[in-house]
Amino acid sequence: MKIMKHGACLAATAVCFLLVIGVLDAALAQNPFGGRPAGPPPMAPTGFAGWVLAKQAEFYRMLAVALHAAKTNASATAGLLGISFAYGIFHAAGPGHGKAVISSYLFANDETWRRGVVLSFVSALLQAMVAIVIVGIAAVLLGATAKTMGSAVRIIEIGSYALIALVGARLLWSKGRGFIAALRARMQAQGQGHHAHDHHSHGHNHDHEYGHQDPYGDEHDGHDHHGHSHGPEPRDLAGPGGWHRGLSAIVAVGLRPCSGAIIVLVFALAQGMFWTGVGATLLMGLGTFITVAAIATIAVGSRAIAARIASHRSGSGVLIVLGLEAAAAGLVMVFGLALLTGYMASERMGLF
Amino acid sequence: MRSIILTSLAATTMWFAQPSGLAWAHPHVWVTMKNELLFAPDGSVTGVRHAWTFDDMFSAFATQGLEQKTKGAFTRDELAPLAKVNIESLKEFAYFTFAKMNGQTAKFNGPTDYWLDYKDSVLTLHFTLPFTAPAKPKVLDVDVYDPTYFVDFAFAKKDPVALAGAPVSCKFTAQKPNDLSAGQSQQLGEAFFNKLDTMSNWGAQFANRLVVTCP
Repeated sequence: MKIMKHGACLAATAVCFLLVIGVLDAALAQNPFGGRPAGPPPMAPTGFAGWVLAKQAEFYRMLAVALHAAKTNASATAGLLGISFAYGIFHAAGPGHGKAVISSYLFANDETWRRGVVLSFVSALLQAMVAIVIVGIAAVLLGATAKTMGSAVRIIEIGSYALIALVGARLLWSKGRGFIAALRARMQAQGQGHHAHDHHSHGHNHDHEYGHQDPYGDEHDGHDHHGHSHGPEPRDLAGPGGWHRGLSAIVAVGLRPCSGAIIVLVFALAQGMFWTGVGATLLMGLGTFITVAAIATIAVGSRAIAARIASHRSGSGVLIVLGLEAAAAGLVMVFGLALLTGYMASERMGLF
Repeated sequence: MRSIILTSLAATTMWFAQPSGLAWAHPHVWVTMKNELLFAPDGSVTGVRHAWTFDDMFSAFATQGLEQKTKGAFTRDELAPLAKVNIESLKEFAYFTFAKMNGQTAKFNGPTDYWLDYKDSVLTLHFTLPFTAPAKPKVLDVDVYDPTYFVDFAFAKKDPVALAGAPVSCKFTAQKPNDLSAGQSQQLGEAFFNKLDTMSNWGAQFANRLVVTCP
């Protein structure tokens, strides 16, 4: 009973956590090109949040100063890179950067901590690369205006959000079926009086991934993780099919460039220091990775605790975990749809 | 061990859940502004004239790729297309300008004139917002702020406000957000837990506020 209580408490905590991350990620930002009137005014940033907010604004301003300094004084470049890194860490705590999507994805998909960190790293790096490629092609090669770049970012954004919704839908399809199958099996078992039957392996058949899984486990291909494997083993990481499983999530999240990085890059370009700007952007990406990986760690950790508690209760415990997975998968899809329809806005990129 | 983890998880959730977490955007644009309040010969206030100077980073971004005859300089004509985009974008945000006459919301018409100039590598956007109904209020408040905190507004250090053609009895003050929040931090909790329509005006507390009194 005590465990059951713990499980419920944890379930509530985990769901809360994911939801709150989502709200955080969405924040209240709106795009001036988005065609919606200004939303509700912001809350007062106080306490720790206010501190983070003040810090990132401060580092962002320092970036401009450091870029100026690096122009005349090569030794100032190290300082610039340090500031970029710090800015990345604080900035990723703000909206965008896919914390919510990555956290929910990791939770739903029962990913290992190592894979979570790798996913965070690659998506943060991809975000930086996309910003560099956009400014490199649009501004450096084509001499495009800020308005044109804004439109390009908008198109990429839509693609990114659509992908997030797709990844979520696909995940929800497999996780939802798994949950329903387990629920049905449990109800049947109870109906037949086979109480506390071992549904454990049944449930975890659905955990492998969504690419080639089958809710009844009878079409499993050559992989050895049949039955009791609790998700991808570390060796799956680089193995066949190991990378492509996370790839869709990485691309979905990482496709959208950070608008701050684009402004910094264009500013560096205007100073004739494009390559310094590229370095700063990559360091920013590294800082972003640190924050996203920290949040991914919490997601994976809470998933692990949920699974451990569930292992004490083979029946309802597994159901709770499967239900949470399905809910997290649903959240990924909801995030994608909300972003796509403009109910949730990521970072703004505008012209005044 | 488990209770420690659970507690820290719950604490993290609580920390994220606090309302202040919602405003975790940070400005990408800094504006230093000078404002002029325009008065008609009969003493009624007719509008607000803004001059918003952008930060160097945003100015570089906004002027990227614009045609220029002289490198490092932009004429008003060369900046005209950008000014148009600026003003059209600002419409959705009510020009970030919110006025009250004697406590009643006063509406603005669209900008009558607008242009950008470029000096010392920064852009300044000039535009005039006329009041829909010019009047002679005893107290006029004009708040300038971005509810989404994409733009950080601050008054210019020198001569942030001017009254053009105002009756001699009119006085003004320019209040920074910090001046306002000083006495209001204690009310934070109360304001938050009050009903929603209180909330909807809440961001205005962090506005830069012009107060003109004409007794």
